[in-house]
Amino acid sequence: MAEEAKKDIPEIVGFACSFCSFKASEMAGSLRMKYPEGIKIVQVPCSSRVDPAFVIKALFEGADGAFVAGCHPGDCHFIKGNYYTRRKIAALKEMFKAFSMDKKIKLFWVSASEARRFVEKVEHMYKEIKEGNNEGKKG
Amino acid sequence: MKGKRVDKKTIEVGLNQFLSDDRNLVLGFAKEPDGVSHRIFKNELGPLSLFNPYFGINGAFFLRRMFSKGQKLLLLLRPCEIRASVELVKLTQTERESIIAVSVDCLGALSSKDASDGLPDDYKEIADILASSEKVRPACKTCKERRGIVGNAGIRVGQDGTLWAVPYDEKGVEFCGLFAGDNEELPAAMLVGEATKTEPFLSDMTEFSKDFAKCIMCMNCRDMCPVCFCIDCVFNGNDYLPKGDALLNKIFRGGTTSLPSGKELFHLIRMFHVSQTCVGCGACEEACPQGIPLTKYFKGISERLQGMFSYTSGRNVEEQIPYLTFLEDELKDAAD
Repeated sequence: MAEEAKKDIPEIVGFACSFCSFKASEMAGSLRMKYPEGIKIVQVPCSSRVDPAFVIKALFEGADGAFVAGCHPGDCHFIKGNYYTRRKIAALKEMFKAFSMDKKIKLFWVSASEARRFVEKVEHMYKEIKEGNNEGKKG
Repeated sequence: MKGKRVDKKTIEVGLNQFLSDDRNLVLGFAKEPDGVSHRIFKNELGPLSLFNPYFGINGAFFLRRMFSKGQKLLLLLRPCEIRASVELVKLTQTERESIIAVSVDCLGALSSKDASDGLPDDYKEIADILASSEKVRPACKTCKERRGIVGNAGIRVGQDGTLWAVPYDEKGVEFCGLFAGDNEELPAAMLVGEATKTEPFLSDMTEFSKDFAKCIMCMNCRDMCPVCFCIDCVFNGNDYLPKGDALLNKIFRGGTTSLPSGKELFHLIRMFHVSQTCVGCGACEEACPQGIPLTKYFKGISERLQGMFSYTSGRNVEEQIPYLTFLEDELKDAAD
């Protein structure tokens, strides 16, 4: 029973930049905002640290979705890291589009002060994936 | 565009002159008693063959971590092999200064698995074999650049069968200078024309899993890929593909697993890692003992991803690989 209830909760792995998106998630905590428990965040020093291999690994080792979150373009702590992220993740999405799996990957720009935006984004993604999972079960 | 009218004799004389310098080498195809294979010629030119009807290994594979000490290496290979060598130069796996890359018009090729005796090295006979065979490699059927227009110079075949040596830059002029004759205007139409555009690749996970179900994870595709060059591949070690104790730990943590595990993981990650540098030569499929249609996926995905950045692997040595550069004003809709 407990196992089955667990399966209904989609698991989402997020890679969040420690200078902005991860700070935003911490801020969301200190503001007592809530986001779904299935979202597991991995802190990375910069969003460009995320090799798309991490995302693919997360998805094929059991996660229902994965997102990469970084600073808004132009605001990178390391000046240009997130421009590389943008290219890499956009290409990864294009690759998954070819396999009709592009809904499982998201790229967010969230700055350190945008706790609300962070919660909205991950909640929206969580809902989408949950609906997708339920539909899959029915069909 | 101008070029020199050459024939096999002129090329041999020119290359022998090039090889008379002790530090110069030529990498090309050689007619051996048991078929045509790659060969590096030193001092004098052996049984050189400009064309090769069979594809076994991508010649750029041999250039990895080949750093010259003043030597010069002249490549006389297929366009896909030259393009892979250009990518390796960009990836600093070999030196630009030491290589003169000459692409020879390609008519397509058969798999080396289907090789038989009595190989022709004349383009006409090769064209006949290819026309009569249904076994043309999938990579060659969907080839996007068969013309020898990449590298420093090219050897093109005219519609009447004349060979043309065409320079594309200073090094190419040096190469064409090896041959006697005057520069003439090239005819407009050549034997090998532009490839037709293909539809963007589309598949789904069911088809993918079905095709890769046969995979035995020997990783020959990775090992024979000319542009999959990392010494320390992510798949070595236990991080992505756990073995032994690490596999045991993973099963106790995550539960039941099929073996060999991580087929999709391996191929998708490799597909992404080579996506911008893949030249679509089909060496991976050639190396696969299970006959998995790797080219279909790797080539399809790489064309799709290269198209995003209007990039073609190996087209120009000056172009930067898209993942290593960026524009500030692009991909506005990348973020969700």
